[in-house]
Amino acid sequence: MAGILETRELCKYFRTPRGLLHAVEGVNLSIQEGKTLGLVGESGCGKSTFGRLLVHLLESTSGQILFKGKDVTNIDRERLKELRNDLQIIFQDPYSSLDPRMSVRQLIGEPLRLKGGMDKGKINRRVEELMGLVGLAERFADAYPHEMDGGRRQRIGIARALALEPKFIVCDEPVSALDVSIQAQIINLLQDLQEKLGLTYIFITHDLSVVEYISDEIAVMYLGQLVEKTSTRKLFEAPLHPYTKVLLSAIPVPDVHCKKRRIIAKGELTSPINPAPGCRFAARCVYATPACKDPQQLQEVAPGHYVSCCRAREINDIPILGKE
Amino acid sequence: MNAKDNGDMLLRVEGLVVKYMTDAGAIHAVNGVNLCLRKGETLGLVGETGAGKTTIAKAIMRILPDPPAKICGGNIYLNGEDVLRVGEHRMRQIRGNSVAMIFQDPMTSLNPIEPVGRQISEAIREHASFSRREVEEHAKKMLEKVGIPRERYGEYPHQFSGGMKQRVVIAMALACNPELLLADEPTTALDVTIQAQVLEMMKGLKEEFGTSMIMITHDLGIVAETCDNVAVIYAGEVIEYGSAQEIFDSPAHPYTIGLFGSLPGANKNARRLKPIDGLMPDPANLPTGCKFHDRCPHATRQCMKEEPTAIHLTDTHYTKCFLHWR
Repeated sequence: MAGILETRELCKYFRTPRGLLHAVEGVNLSIQEGKTLGLVGESGCGKSTFGRLLVHLLESTSGQILFKGKDVTNIDRERLKELRNDLQIIFQDPYSSLDPRMSVRQLIGEPLRLKGGMDKGKINRRVEELMGLVGLAERFADAYPHEMDGGRRQRIGIARALALEPKFIVCDEPVSALDVSIQAQIINLLQDLQEKLGLTYIFITHDLSVVEYISDEIAVMYLGQLVEKTSTRKLFEAPLHPYTKVLLSAIPVPDVHCKKRRIIAKGELTSPINPAPGCRFAARCVYATPACKDPQQLQEVAPGHYVSCCRAREINDIPILGKE
Repeated sequence: MNAKDNGDMLLRVEGLVVKYMTDAGAIHAVNGVNLCLRKGETLGLVGETGAGKTTIAKAIMRILPDPPAKICGGNIYLNGEDVLRVGEHRMRQIRGNSVAMIFQDPMTSLNPIEPVGRQISEAIREHASFSRREVEEHAKKMLEKVGIPRERYGEYPHQFSGGMKQRVVIAMALACNPELLLADEPTTALDVTIQAQVLEMMKGLKEEFGTSMIMITHDLGIVAETCDNVAVIYAGEVIEYGSAQEIFDSPAHPYTIGLFGSLPGANKNARRLKPIDGLMPDPANLPTGCKFHDRCPHATRQCMKEEPTAIHLTDTHYTKCFLHWR
């Protein structure tokens, strides 16, 4: 089933003095309309770069991005402007993504002004409507970002993203900078908006409990590579990739009776600069064999469960499909 | 406090009040906090940004910047000695030797232009009269204890990753075998797999050295894994205190209950999270009565006017809420 947004072998390399940094390497993903795809991984795994590629804040090195079946990888300014009506992004840091010299009204109205075709009165009415939608009281319309707390600033960011009625929103760590009680308010808001407006989200975060709560499907990245993708339930019940197993066992569980066994990965993230081909987790993996040095393919190991590990079947005791 | 609080009691904080004096008026950061910690125990201080957790720890270390901070009242007894009333010379002996602190950002404690080994040695030399050789050997041993090869003694902080830097800081803090370690969000800046490594290592060292610990965190998952007792801090007050099991199994204060309702990890099967309404009160302008009353679903007129005092639900579990008085 083709999704509303698809990437094919999407790559992004950055030139650095020490060599080519492979930030995103050959990622194939497809996101179903109206659903939430969680994209998780640790810092430096390329998840934010991937999000930025989708909304063309960065240009990809190779590969394709398809939106509603149309190739939008290399498009001119005019078509990009059109695309941004449908494709928006919410950033992690509501402190640095808002112009401190603009009032809330100006900030939320900015996308509408840039799009053009609306007079001042109409823009003002739409701004008020948007403020209501994201739960910002009208009295804040003439306030400036520095007068507001993190949660309200994030609501401004969300209102700006929603101004042009997009279909698809990249949420890049939208709640990571917030305290838990405020975080819960924003998560609820994002869920309400999805239901009301039929939005599709890609939710980028390092916080696994948030992603488990909000996502329909989850994709796990490690150093630029997609290592596993499946439904949220399957991923948390039976992760198949060795890295996912380590990652999930590392989450501290807020329950004093939970006595889970923790799998500790040896070492730390290796460098994504001029990496060797093959699985990048191999250096830390307890299951690594010489075969892990060959390039790995994302394969459907169980129905709807994609893993990029040549030993996934073997270490999880999964028979090859069609055989017993 | 109960009867058996002598012998093995390491730290007792009584009625601690800390204010920050600013041009715009006093900021009430800590408002009468009582805490106690037995030898070998780990106490979790839990609360959101601005609750006063770090201020409490810095008051124990006596490293609050004055001005603007002023300790306006209370006592902090460490092994029976009131650290708020000792001279600066004695305090220097206590710091490092009896109490050490690690911060969220390891670069708070590290000097970027000095090799890490020398920095650990410096901490040891301050408190022990070893020969040069012995000091260096001890520092190298500490590096090994936190999982860093001794060969890296001469490297600079920028040559280490975030997780490794935090290990160096832990080695430095434990070098003089302090009785009490104040850990202020020690793993918040680290990735989860690295956090798991560091927490696991801290647990091991704590047992090996018999160190008591105050773990400051906003992550209830870390509290469940590492703490024996928990103090929930709200607007500079301990609003609930109990064993970890009591706090997690039967939270009593509406704020504590709200914190758990906000956690995606604890509400996997819920369709919606139940966040706490509103925001933390401004510590420059605290509400009257119970400081949580304007966010509390159970607030009555009494809550707006009177400050609730602690009510004991069990010997070890208390909360400051009128709900439990009725």
